[in-house]
Amino acid sequence: VRNANDCGYVTIVKGDVIAAFNQADEVIEERYHCDQSHPVPIEPHAIVAQWQGERVTIWSTSQVPFSARSGVAETLQMPESNVRIVVPHLGGGFGGKCEFHFEAHVAALAKKAGRPVRVVFSRHDEFVAPDKVNHPIVIDLKTGVKRDGTMTARAARIVMDTGAYASDAPSIAEIATMMAAGPYDIANLDINAHTIYTNKTPAGSVRAPSGPQIAWAVEQHTDEIAKRVGIDGYQIRTRNLLQDGDYGPTGQVMSAVGAKECLDRAAQMIGHGTPGKKHEGIGLACGWWFSLPAPSSVYLKMNVDGSATIVTGAQENGSGAVMGLALIASEELGISPDRVSILYQDTDAGAWDMGSSGSQTTFNNGRALIAAAAIIRERLLALASERLEVAPEDLEIHQGIVRVDGTPARSVPVADLAATAFARGELLAAHASPPASPLPESFGATCAGRVVFPAFADPTFVCQAARVQVDPQTGVVHVKEIAAVHDFGRILNPGGAQGQVEGGIVHSIGIGLTEGTVYRDGRQLNPHLLDYKLLTASDVPAIRVDFVHTHSVGGPRGAKGVGEPPIIPTAGAVANAIANATGVRVRELPMTAPRVCAAINKDSQE
Amino acid sequence: VIDRAYFQPADLEAALSILAKHREAGIVAGGTDLVVGARSSDKTLPATVVAIDRLKELGRIETSGDGGLQIGALATHADLETSTVVQGSWSALSDAASLVGSPATRHIGTIGGNICNASPAMETGSPLLVFEAIIELASKRGLRRIPIGAFLTGPRKTARRSDELLKSIVLPPLPRPGVTGSAYVRLEYRQAMEIAIVGAAALVTLRDDGICTEARIALTAVAPTCVRASPAEKVLIGSTVDADLVAKAARSAVGQANPIDDVRASAQYRRAMVPVIVERALRLAWNRAKDGVSK
Repeated sequence: VRNANDCGYVTIVKGDVIAAFNQADEVIEERYHCDQSHPVPIEPHAIVAQWQGERVTIWSTSQVPFSARSGVAETLQMPESNVRIVVPHLGGGFGGKCEFHFEAHVAALAKKAGRPVRVVFSRHDEFVAPDKVNHPIVIDLKTGVKRDGTMTARAARIVMDTGAYASDAPSIAEIATMMAAGPYDIANLDINAHTIYTNKTPAGSVRAPSGPQIAWAVEQHTDEIAKRVGIDGYQIRTRNLLQDGDYGPTGQVMSAVGAKECLDRAAQMIGHGTPGKKHEGIGLACGWWFSLPAPSSVYLKMNVDGSATIVTGAQENGSGAVMGLALIASEELGISPDRVSILYQDTDAGAWDMGSSGSQTTFNNGRALIAAAAIIRERLLALASERLEVAPEDLEIHQGIVRVDGTPARSVPVADLAATAFARGELLAAHASPPASPLPESFGATCAGRVVFPAFADPTFVCQAARVQVDPQTGVVHVKEIAAVHDFGRILNPGGAQGQVEGGIVHSIGIGLTEGTVYRDGRQLNPHLLDYKLLTASDVPAIRVDFVHTHSVGGPRGAKGVGEPPIIPTAGAVANAIANATGVRVRELPMTAPRVCAAINKDSQE
Repeated sequence: VIDRAYFQPADLEAALSILAKHREAGIVAGGTDLVVGARSSDKTLPATVVAIDRLKELGRIETSGDGGLQIGALATHADLETSTVVQGSWSALSDAASLVGSPATRHIGTIGGNICNASPAMETGSPLLVFEAIIELASKRGLRRIPIGAFLTGPRKTARRSDELLKSIVLPPLPRPGVTGSAYVRLEYRQAMEIAIVGAAALVTLRDDGICTEARIALTAVAPTCVRASPAEKVLIGSTVDADLVAKAARSAVGQANPIDDVRASAQYRRAMVPVIVERALRLAWNRAKDGVSK
C-alpha cells in the first residue's frame, strides 16, 4: 500500500502467485539489505558561468548538457537559445553528473557579480550534496519452485530509500521491479517497489540504477533456490533463463536473447564444476538491462579533402561512446577513422541529445550517424557512378576509394569525389534524426510503464562468474578472477565495449565488498576516500571478457546498450562465490570483512 | 587575509633557533599528514610553519658501533622499505613501511612525521615498540632521549615539547643470545591505500636449541596508542616455540586491546581480530628467526 511518503510505487502483477505458491514443491523466502553507495567520479562537479549581454556560457561537468540547458532556461526564465552549455573532457561521471544540477545557481551568481563565477565541489561535497547515490534498498524475495528447479512464482517487495528528493527515482522503481523478476521465465509474479523519502543524500541514476543491488539479492536468492532443490547455480539458471519467444515480466515477447549462451560460456571460462583450492569458491550471476530508444541527431560533413566531421549533441563521459562514432562513420563512408573529427558536448553545436545516460549514446546517436552517413554515401556513389560509368549498386567504398565490385582497378578516391562535388557547387553535408523505435508495450495488471519503462527494449543479457578467496578468520575477500560474457547485440566498438565491461566489473566489486556509506545520527561517517573504500589497482582481479552476438530490433546494425550492464551481476557473482567458499550467505551489501566474518561465526555457533 | 610565517631552515641549529622562538609552529617534513589534514575541514594549517626538508643530515639510516641502528627523522618510508639492513635485521619496520599509504606517500612521507603525528593506527609504531626504540629530541636546551612507549602519550599526542625537533630514532642492538626475527602484519580491507584496522608487530629471539630467549609483541589501532602486549610475550619467553604456544600467546594479547567502535570496524570485531593478527605476526617472526638459526 502506498503512503504519502512514497514517491514512486510500482507493481508488476502476472498470473496468480498465491495459487502457484500453493502448488510449488518448495517456497524460499529471504530478505536482503543494501547500504548506500556512490558513483565517485575522480573529477568532482565543477561549473563556470560567464555572461555576454543576454547570453550565458556555462562550462559544466555535466553528463547531460541539454538537460542542464533546459534547467537553466527554466530557472532563469530565458530562452534556451541564450544558454550555451559546454562540457570540457569529463573526469568520469557514472551517473553522478546526470540531471540539471547547479548550473543556474552559478549563472545567477555570475550575473549578479558581473564577472565569471566558478564553483568546484570538494570531495566531501561530492559525497553529501549531489542528488545521485545508489539507493539503499531492502529486498524481500519469495520464490516457488518445482522439484526439477523450474521457478513458478515470485513475490518481491522492494523498499528503496531515496533520500531527501525524488530526483529521477520514480523511474528507477520501475527498473527495480524488472530487475527483481530478473532475466528468468517465471509464470507468476507479484512484485512491488516503494520509493521512500528520508533525510539522507538523495538517490538517483547511478550507473544501472538499482541493478547491482537487486541483482546481488536476486542472484543469491537464485542459488538458495537451487540449493533447496539440490541442483547447482548453473543448472538452476539454465533451466529458467529467458529464451526467444518467452514472455517477459510485463508481457513483452522476447527476441534476440543471448542469455543461455552467456551462462554457458562464463561457466566454462571460470572452470565451473572443477574443484577449487582451499578457501576458494566460484559463483555465477546473470543479469539483464534495457537499451533505451530516444531521439537523437547527427550532422555529418564530408570535407573537400574527403575527411569528415561529425557534429553531435551526444556527450562523452569517458566510456568511448562518442569517440566510437568515428569508427561507425569510417565504416559507413569507407574512410580511415583518423580522417573523422567530432564536434560535441557544446549545446550550440549538435542538436538535442539525452546525454551520457541510459547506455543510450551508441544505440541512438549511432542510429542517427548511420542515417546521415547513408545520405553522403549515396551521393558519393552517385558521383562515382558518373565518373566510372558503372551503376551505383555495383560500387563499394573501401579504404578511401570507391571501386567497382570485383574490378578494383576501376576506382576513384573519395577525396576526388568531394572535390568534384565542390567544384560543381555542391557540399556533401547531411543531417539525420531517424525516429527511435517504440518501447515494447506491457500487458496485464501491471502499473510499470506509467513513468518510463513498461518493459525492457532490446534487453542486453549477461552472465558473470567470479572466483574468490575468503580469509575465514578475518572475513577479508580477495576476488581472484572474473569471467564476463555479455550479449550486446552487434558490437560496433569492440575496444570500447571491452573497456566498459572491465570498468563496470571493478566498480561492482567495490560496491560488493568495500564501498558503502555508513550513517550515524543522520550523517555520513565516511564521506572521504580514506574510509569510503574504492577498489584500488592492486585489488583488481584477472578479468576475462567475451561477447555473444545477437541482433537487436531497434539498435543500429543490431547493437544494444553497453555502458551500464557490466556493473549489474558482479557483486552477485562474488556473493555466490563467497557462499560457495564458506558455506555461509552474506545478506548485507557491501559484504565487508566484518560482515563476512560475522556470518561465518554465526554459522559455526549454530 | 593570510597571516602566515613560513621558515625553511638550512641546518639543524637554525631549525632549533626558530622553534625556540615560535612555540606554536607546526613542523612539516613530507607534508602527508599536516597538509592533507589542513585540506580536510576539521583542521587548519598552523600560522607558523617550519619546513625541515632541507636538513639532509636527518635523512640517514646508519648502523651504530654497538650493532644498533640510527634512523634520521627524515628517512622516508620508501628508504626503510628498501634498505637492505632494515629488511635484514629490522624486518618488522621494513614490513610496516612498505604498507604505508601509496607509493607516492611512501616516497615523501617520513618516519619522523609518522611518529609525531601519533595516530593509533600508525604503521611504524608497533615495530618501534618491539625494537624498544629511543626517540631523540633536539632543542636549544640540548638532546633528550625517550623510549617510544613513553613518547606516544595518546591519539595524536606525544611527549614532544614545542621547541623540540624529533632528530632521530635509535634502535638498540637486537636481543642476545640467539637469532632474532621480527614482522609486522596488518589487517586490511583492500590491498593498497589502506589504514590499519588491526596491526601487530612481533619479535622472536631463538637460541640454537629452539628456546625463545626474548619475545616482544605490540598492537596497532586497538588502543589510544600502539601498545606492548607483555602478558603475551611472557607465554613464549623461556619455552620451546611451537604452533600451539604461538596461538596461546596470541590469544593472551587480547587483554592489552582496548579498541573503539568507528567507521572502519566495531570494537568487537577489532578485539576478535587481535589474536588472529598477532598469531600471523608471531608466526612470521618465528619463521624468520628459524631461518636465521638454520643459516
